[in-house]
Amino acid sequence: MPAARGQKRERWRPPRGRHRLPPEVIARSQRERLLEAAIRIVAEKGYAATTVADLTREAGISRTTFYAMFDDKEACFLAAYDNVAEALVRRISLAYEAEEGWPRRARAGLAALLEALAEEPAVARLALVDVGAAGPAAQRRYRAALQRLTPFFDEGRDFAPDGRNLPANTSRMAIGAVAGLISDELTEGRAEYLPKLLSEVLFATLVPYIGPAAAAREVGEKD
Amino acid sequence: MPPASSSSGNPSPAPTDDLGATLEQERLPAGLDSLPEPLVEHSQRERLLNAMARSCAKKGYGATTIADVCEGAGVSRATFYELFKDKEDCFHASMEVALADAMGRIVAVYSPDKPWATMVRDAAAAFLDLLASRPTFARMALVEAPASGERAFELYASGKRVLQSLLERGRDDPVEEEAIPSSAGRAALSAAESLIVGQILAGNAARLRELLPDVVYITTVPYLGQEEALRQAREAEKAAVPADG
Repeated sequence: MPAARGQKRERWRPPRGRHRLPPEVIARSQRERLLEAAIRIVAEKGYAATTVADLTREAGISRTTFYAMFDDKEACFLAAYDNVAEALVRRISLAYEAEEGWPRRARAGLAALLEALAEEPAVARLALVDVGAAGPAAQRRYRAALQRLTPFFDEGRDFAPDGRNLPANTSRMAIGAVAGLISDELTEGRAEYLPKLLSEVLFATLVPYIGPAAAAREVGEKD
Repeated sequence: MPPASSSSGNPSPAPTDDLGATLEQERLPAGLDSLPEPLVEHSQRERLLNAMARSCAKKGYGATTIADVCEGAGVSRATFYELFKDKEDCFHASMEVALADAMGRIVAVYSPDKPWATMVRDAAAAFLDLLASRPTFARMALVEAPASGERAFELYASGKRVLQSLLERGRDDPVEEEAIPSSAGRAALSAAESLIVGQILAGNAARLRELLPDVVYITTVPYLGQEEALRQAREAEKAAVPADG
């Protein structure tokens, strides 16, 4: 039975009081709400200034519920961060897999990433720039998130004419180039222009694998 | 050859062949012609700067308190406030030391007579050695500073612009003539930086010199093409292990 329909509420919450939703469903929704709130608030206020009270208020949960789920602010933020990274990788992956041929796949994946980041400038800035100020554990999470992009770049090695001779760290470096170009743009407060960065980011991705001439040709190719 | 286009009145300093002029433009800490002294802990100020870098490495700049820094340095709070206005002021001073150090190394290997690729390799080797010898400062300068407020970011960014203008000399006579984007040098630097930071965060700072061939490859490939960049990387492999000690 949908019990309390029609009551005004901004966001769906499990109905209060006795209800039939299994406890794990309730817990799941609380957790999701909390993680979502954590990203939003930290993006807004900065990590250092955010308190557990901010998080519980924004998520509409009690302190007790918070501490049942997480040890502290950091643990909550890290889980929220992983969530964001996961969603980004999923979007990249969908776009990437839909294309044939590595350069086109790379173009599609990068375009999806730039669009996703442009949609939420504050989250983008937090995910790529301000995460550096959220402590060593967060910095490691950022590195781990970058690492998750490796399979998309490693395919470039198979595609490259001289793939076997490329430096072992080629994919890591190409990912770093992409992250750097995007961070520079975010630092300048230009998140909404990120999609325009596609040709530069694509060139930076391709150049270590296929060289400047072929990379420039691929970038110039319109689909 | 100096770049053909000269004055364009844009806010960011144009890349130039003249490293001295670039350093000038970036308003870097003074006294670069005499190389900075290694940071020996002979003054309270230096102890505080070191303690700041150590604390940033341990818990991050955000979580670092003045108490942490004072305790790490064995210096009283009163002395801290005689030397610095606040935590940010101390952090900024640490960054200035790190940057002056880095620029000193670059100046030492820079010569307009060297072939460009040799200069890139020598600068990269000098830079990796410096970072390897000062891992806590490396971490502060490359990980904390970019995300820790405008003043620190500005120092970080100015150091990066110097490296960038050094690298962009490669644009003067590209072997392959295809138009490469103006951001190619910046992207290559970010690529190298990301690899270096990953290594530092993984606790492998002492082995940074091993990354030299990779760094040489990624920074030269946009300008020299793959074949020549790979040759330069192989060349750098011989230098990837410091001669001794």
